[in-house]
Amino acid sequence: MASVPAFLIAKLLRFLTRLRGGGSALPGYVLLRLVPDALGMALGKLPRGVIFVTGSNGKSTTTMMLAALLKEHGLRVFSNPAGGNLPQGLASALVARASLAGKVRADIAVLEVDEAYGPAIAALVTPDWVVVTNIQVDQLNRFGEPEQVYRKVLELALGAKIGVVVNRSDPNGEALGSELLARGQRVETMELAPEVIAQPAHGLVSAPLFFDSVTPLEAAPSAVVTAVEGRLARLQVAGWLGEIELPAPGVHYAIDAGLAVAMAVAVVGSGFRNEALVRAFDGASPVYGRGETIQYRGHDFALTMMKNLPSLQANLDSMSGPFATVWLSVDEGTPDPSWIFDVDLGPLTHVDVLSGSKAWQWALLLEHRAIPYGQVIEDTREAFNAVVHLAGESSAPIQAIVNYEQMMLIRRIAGYRELEGKQ
Amino acid sequence: MSSFTIARILPEVLGLNGSGASAEILAVSLRAMGHAVSVVDVHGPDDAPAQVDCVSIGSGSASSLQLAAARLIGLVRMFGVWRAEGAFTVAIGTGWDLLGAAVITPEGDTVPGAGIFPSEADHRHARFSGEVAGLDYRGRPSAGYVNQVGVLTRGEGGSPLMSVDASRAPYPVDEGFIGNRMFATRLGGPALAVNPHWSNDIVSSLVETRGHTFTPTDFHDRVATAAAHTRAHIEKRLGVSRS
Repeated sequence: MASVPAFLIAKLLRFLTRLRGGGSALPGYVLLRLVPDALGMALGKLPRGVIFVTGSNGKSTTTMMLAALLKEHGLRVFSNPAGGNLPQGLASALVARASLAGKVRADIAVLEVDEAYGPAIAALVTPDWVVVTNIQVDQLNRFGEPEQVYRKVLELALGAKIGVVVNRSDPNGEALGSELLARGQRVETMELAPEVIAQPAHGLVSAPLFFDSVTPLEAAPSAVVTAVEGRLARLQVAGWLGEIELPAPGVHYAIDAGLAVAMAVAVVGSGFRNEALVRAFDGASPVYGRGETIQYRGHDFALTMMKNLPSLQANLDSMSGPFATVWLSVDEGTPDPSWIFDVDLGPLTHVDVLSGSKAWQWALLLEHRAIPYGQVIEDTREAFNAVVHLAGESSAPIQAIVNYEQMMLIRRIAGYRELEGKQ
Repeated sequence: MSSFTIARILPEVLGLNGSGASAEILAVSLRAMGHAVSVVDVHGPDDAPAQVDCVSIGSGSASSLQLAAARLIGLVRMFGVWRAEGAFTVAIGTGWDLLGAAVITPEGDTVPGAGIFPSEADHRHARFSGEVAGLDYRGRPSAGYVNQVGVLTRGEGGSPLMSVDASRAPYPVDEGFIGNRMFATRLGGPALAVNPHWSNDIVSSLVETRGHTFTPTDFHDRVATAAAHTRAHIEKRLGVSRS
């Protein structure tokens, strides 16, 4: 189908889905059915190219940081900020931004891309650069084992037209970079100072991949994270040493920042300005649902994502208790929560309410860790109100540890709008 | 009250996706009854205790297979010593594969196993990832999540741990292994938590060798309740009704 009618239909669908108060991947799905090469047509000829951000964790945050950095350098950036990182999610973001002719007014695209769908998305629009955040234990029900993710990311990274950015302090980042370099790909890096690596109680929680041998990446890193304290990270970029503000405390956010900076340095080149770097991070707020605080019935709910073992562990490592009220909610969006038995629950000394269809599996873990828990209320809405009731007059934020699907539901119940292109 | 030692074998390699939790689950159960328990991580012969009551081994991924097999060779003699002195062996997933006679890799190579279990694993078959439910060797409802590649062939001795009657995709009816102080399953991670009747069987066996009887506590009752709810959800998702 020609672009104009296809985009018209998709935009109309977007309007209708937004009328019911939420975002949706449906407009993108329909667009791709009508114009399968819509992404390539719209983004394939952007003057500064296309960057994919992929990996197990940190994709949304890195994408947001990189887009902000490039904007501060005067570039018009097209991105998919809602984390719709499958083809239909990317196309939905396109429906929102493109003209009826399918054109996007942007210099560069920064796209968060699902680690398994990367090669398929690259077939629609070839990336100039690929930023790899990490390869961690994630969605084993889907991937089987972390090696599958490594292979998919490697395939995607090999296809990048210009190069790849990795964290060379991460064993899997170094292994991937080393293999890419050996196969002729350009590799740019960021790294962490040894004292930063030692900071999180459980390290960088990389997936345990057992490579035969890895050749160390020799080239100087484009960005070095030299210190992290709370929400402040100290960065070294070329000869400059300065401080930036992270969206939330944690070394994992500093890694995302380092990757974004290394990528921006490669794109902007000699035009890279340190004051623009600092401005890009000034007042940074967490990306949708990650470390976000929402309000409901007069209470603050601090949302902590339990997407997988590494993300939950990194989040717990960066939190300090004790917490007044704790709500834990997980549902079918986590098909196999076996990994929870690998988590060091650290600051979690009690849970007041457990909810969602996987609540009882968490109850089993809490029993074995001798962590007291209160009510198990499987219905999320009912649990939400019970938590409010329990918190009473307390003004302390309620810690809500939730999986992605429960985060979306909780935001919806609290009256928050969904963003474009969610799956 | 007695003191027990549980050896957790190669946890850095064979402990993927909660599969190293068996040792913790058994230890907590024993402690709830007032026994002292030490869980010892065994990475090689040098840190292998001379005597253990239970040996626990978890699951791993493809790139861990050769490494784990090589490291297990150094522990085969200790496995023999421990088993001769009555240690119970608990194996999950890849750990079970490697404690069998051999593992055939996806490439068709044969990796020799430790020869503890009368079984052979063939990783040339597709991965199964999904929930399963059924009745165990004593007719008790049992369930969990399997995420394993290949198939397992059982030899002589022992019996299947459970008979699977519900799964999203085709899954062999006979699952797991029980017999001669050996327990193995392809049900992942905290299979012993989701099915505390299995944990209780193993713990009963451990305490009886010391002249005690298994006495359930409030902890065991609470775990049984949470586990029953967990299994009920799995059965519901699989469309099973056992009433």
